[in-house]
Amino acid sequence: MADFDITDAGQFEHFGTESVGDSDWITGQHPMDGLLRGERLPHIWCQGCGLGTALTTFIGALQWLEAEQGWDLDKVSVVSGIGCTGRIAGYVRLDSFHTTHGRAIPFATGLKLANPELKVVVMSGDGDIAGIGGNHFIHAARRNLDITVICVNNFNYGMTGGQVGPTTPHGAKAVTTQYGNFEYPFNLPYLAAASGASFLARWTVIHARRLEWTLREAMMYPGYSFVEVIAPCSTSYARWNPEGRGLDPEKLRRRGLELMKHYQNIGKVAHGTHPKDAAIKVDKEGAIVEIVEGVFSNEPKPDFQSAIDEQAQVARERWQAAKKMLNERSQIPQRTDIIFRTEVQLGGFGGQGIVSAGRIIGQAAAIYDKLEACFTQSYGPEARGGAAGSQVVIASDPIHHPHLIEPTNAIIMSQEAYTKYVPKMATGATLLIDDGLVTLSPDQRQDLKTYGISATQIAEELGNSRAANTVMLGLWTAIIGAVSKSAMQQSVAKAVPPKTVEVNLSAFEAGFKKGLRYQVNNTL
Amino acid sequence: MKFWRQPLDQDQIQIPHGIIHIIEERCKGCGFCVEFCPRTVLLMSKRTNSKGYHPPEVVDGEACSDCGLCTLLCPDFAIYVETSEVSAITKEQRDP
Repeated sequence: MADFDITDAGQFEHFGTESVGDSDWITGQHPMDGLLRGERLPHIWCQGCGLGTALTTFIGALQWLEAEQGWDLDKVSVVSGIGCTGRIAGYVRLDSFHTTHGRAIPFATGLKLANPELKVVVMSGDGDIAGIGGNHFIHAARRNLDITVICVNNFNYGMTGGQVGPTTPHGAKAVTTQYGNFEYPFNLPYLAAASGASFLARWTVIHARRLEWTLREAMMYPGYSFVEVIAPCSTSYARWNPEGRGLDPEKLRRRGLELMKHYQNIGKVAHGTHPKDAAIKVDKEGAIVEIVEGVFSNEPKPDFQSAIDEQAQVARERWQAAKKMLNERSQIPQRTDIIFRTEVQLGGFGGQGIVSAGRIIGQAAAIYDKLEACFTQSYGPEARGGAAGSQVVIASDPIHHPHLIEPTNAIIMSQEAYTKYVPKMATGATLLIDDGLVTLSPDQRQDLKTYGISATQIAEELGNSRAANTVMLGLWTAIIGAVSKSAMQQSVAKAVPPKTVEVNLSAFEAGFKKGLRYQVNNTL
Repeated sequence: MKFWRQPLDQDQIQIPHGIIHIIEERCKGCGFCVEFCPRTVLLMSKRTNSKGYHPPEVVDGEACSDCGLCTLLCPDFAIYVETSEVSAITKEQRDP
């Protein structure tokens, strides 16, 4: 296989030719032959099957669109799944896609999103679209993706021998439900409507002309359009059910025709019917007694692609703004003092605002002081009471490693955090603790400078115990001085809930004053 | 077709007419075209094609009004209609 060359046509065997298939099919005789792959025909569908009619109406609609609407059929692609109907993709001379079972719509989604100018038509059976692919069906409808889904419903799994399917009417017989189907079927237009589809139609194949008009309309529709085509299954479904005259030997070769005549008699054309009233009605024997048909809904709404474009526009604008800000950043007057890499470790338990405090420091440095800052957080799964930690790195130069290497100072608000973080501190680091909550261990490292404040108590006295973290921030600002006081105040005011701004600012002030007193004592 | 009053311009109206072509080898004998032809132009023939199916045959070609329903209904692409210049003649017109 080393010298395998894909251009070597001699490697591939061709079955049949363009003009004469591997059987006696001679192409070029029928006006629709231009859109058929002669080498694959005649198709496998049984005598009296409605699928051929569904295909002629589809091709008729495409020919009309090409002639009257100037459609380029090279830009139309047909996607099918597995099943009798799934073979349609192989019979049309268009870019087509014969996919895995039930996954016609996902393949079509990819096709449409990658190449939005394609007109994508999914044509598959009820077992494929509503059975195994049911989830894809409803999600494509929910997104309002601009594709046309044509579901050819013959009420059973025809190709595998007529087993009961998701659309088999209640009471109808199938090869696996010989005493009548005890399940209830989907009402497909109602399912599509509930999932958000806005173009809904149903026709039996006997109304071929109107089906063709609806298919034209559906393919031109901007958004998810769903057309249910009811086709007779002359071999499997008709055999067991009264509409197909069962095994009556007189009608044996005419089962498909009998089913077609039955659909002609019971079809009730009612455009604009609410899909919930469009369920297929059956009598006690399971024979279909009424099929409501027509275009049930045709109300365009914004489709998936336009929603993506809109979102992309927003993202583009946001990114432009961010880029502009980043470019202007170098021109903003910097703080004159240079802050070397300052690493702050904050620790406590959940609910104390450890993460918020970290974010406040980071925002104050990055936004209000025009420094560089990185903020990371770590906490347990508990919302309240678990261990919580956050890390901030501040520097004048861009930060290349966002995580802490050796914390140069720490705000510790619980005993657990104290034992966890203090051993990792840098030599000569500064430790700020909440006096009321943390007891210093007797064998603490001698190189650490420790400052305490009864933050929780002070915050409680001010009226809100949750402002304890702001007290610690005030202390931190006064002692470390990496971020200016005004920046911190702005950041606090921005980050806390509007009602608590006052309390938080006075808490910050209390912490800051205490810190200043420490500084004065130190210099003395 | 019977009218309770004759349209005034009846003799000026040209009824569209089509020439039916049947590709017998493609036919599977489902009978859709014969059953649903609004002017009963077609009938199942006695002869069979090479697969043993009875294809339809044209028994009243003059009456075809080029509606194209057989083209659209035929599942096997075995029948199509070509538009003709002359006017269709119905049974009533032939034997009034």
